[in-house]
Amino acid sequence: MGYYSLRLCAGGGAFEAVPAPRLNLDLRRVKGALEASHIPVVDARVMLIAQLEREVTLSRDGRVLIKTKDGAEAASIFGRLRELLDLPSVDSGN
Amino acid sequence: MSRGVVLMSGGIDSPVALYYMLRQGHDMVAVHMDNRPFTDDSPLEKVVDHLRVLETTFGRKVPLYVLPHGPTQITLMRNTDRHVGCVMCRRFMWRSAERIAERELASFLVTGEALGQVASQTLSNMRSATASVHLPIVRPLIGFDKQEIEAVARGIGTYSISTRPGLCCQAVPDKPATRTNLVQILHEEDRLDVDQIVDACVRRAVVM
Repeated sequence: MGYYSLRLCAGGGAFEAVPAPRLNLDLRRVKGALEASHIPVVDARVMLIAQLEREVTLSRDGRVLIKTKDGAEAASIFGRLRELLDLPSVDSGN
Repeated sequence: MSRGVVLMSGGIDSPVALYYMLRQGHDMVAVHMDNRPFTDDSPLEKVVDHLRVLETTFGRKVPLYVLPHGPTQITLMRNTDRHVGCVMCRRFMWRSAERIAERELASFLVTGEALGQVASQTLSNMRSATASVHLPIVRPLIGFDKQEIEAVARGIGTYSISTRPGLCCQAVPDKPATRTNLVQILHEEDRLDVDQIVDACVRRAVVM
């Protein structure tokens, strides 16, 4: 089982959760799981855009982009997604 | 002097390109292709602030059209080869800008592109992108390198705005094509209702 790193993205405008190794998400299954939890999702084929507390982009390779500059909020939103989608946990660096 | 339409992204280059056009005395109209949800609010905020700085410098108003480009991006992502996504995206930006130019009786388009800086700015990709429009395209920065552009941006007061935190475009593919040919691009567009996409975008333009 791999793990996720959660960090501020290069432009500094959002947090990204990056899995190691990269995943191969079935975006149709992911979309179904999110919608079953009443989370609105836009399907852009190679990525999904989901409206949680903040807008979130999920790529097929498992990368998750969370549109907030607040690390604690990003961690909380990723934690919710992780539970919903059974994703690996965030590496705490310990 | 004549009237032109400049594409403004919120980045470092486009306000510098606009600066040179205003300095020459051209009457300019700005167009921002709003790429949300593939970006955040920051590009639009930066464009508004860029224009404020340049309007103060030159003492004249530059009208800003904001066009929703996100729905176009979603259509492109669903229906075309991701490898050529940046060129496809640019073709629709140019088409929308040309429509605004028609509305504003402008006779040319302006961009901050400089040769070879990013994937969309190779010669073959520029040709593939701009073959979608008929108006002449002016590129005041075409031979500049990044350091030269940044130096001008610092001097005119737009650099600190451009480099504020923001979200990079999430629609950029992992490996964008750096060399495309027009036949391939036209083949991709055969799957799209181009006029309907541009109509829908331009119809929702907001003037600020």
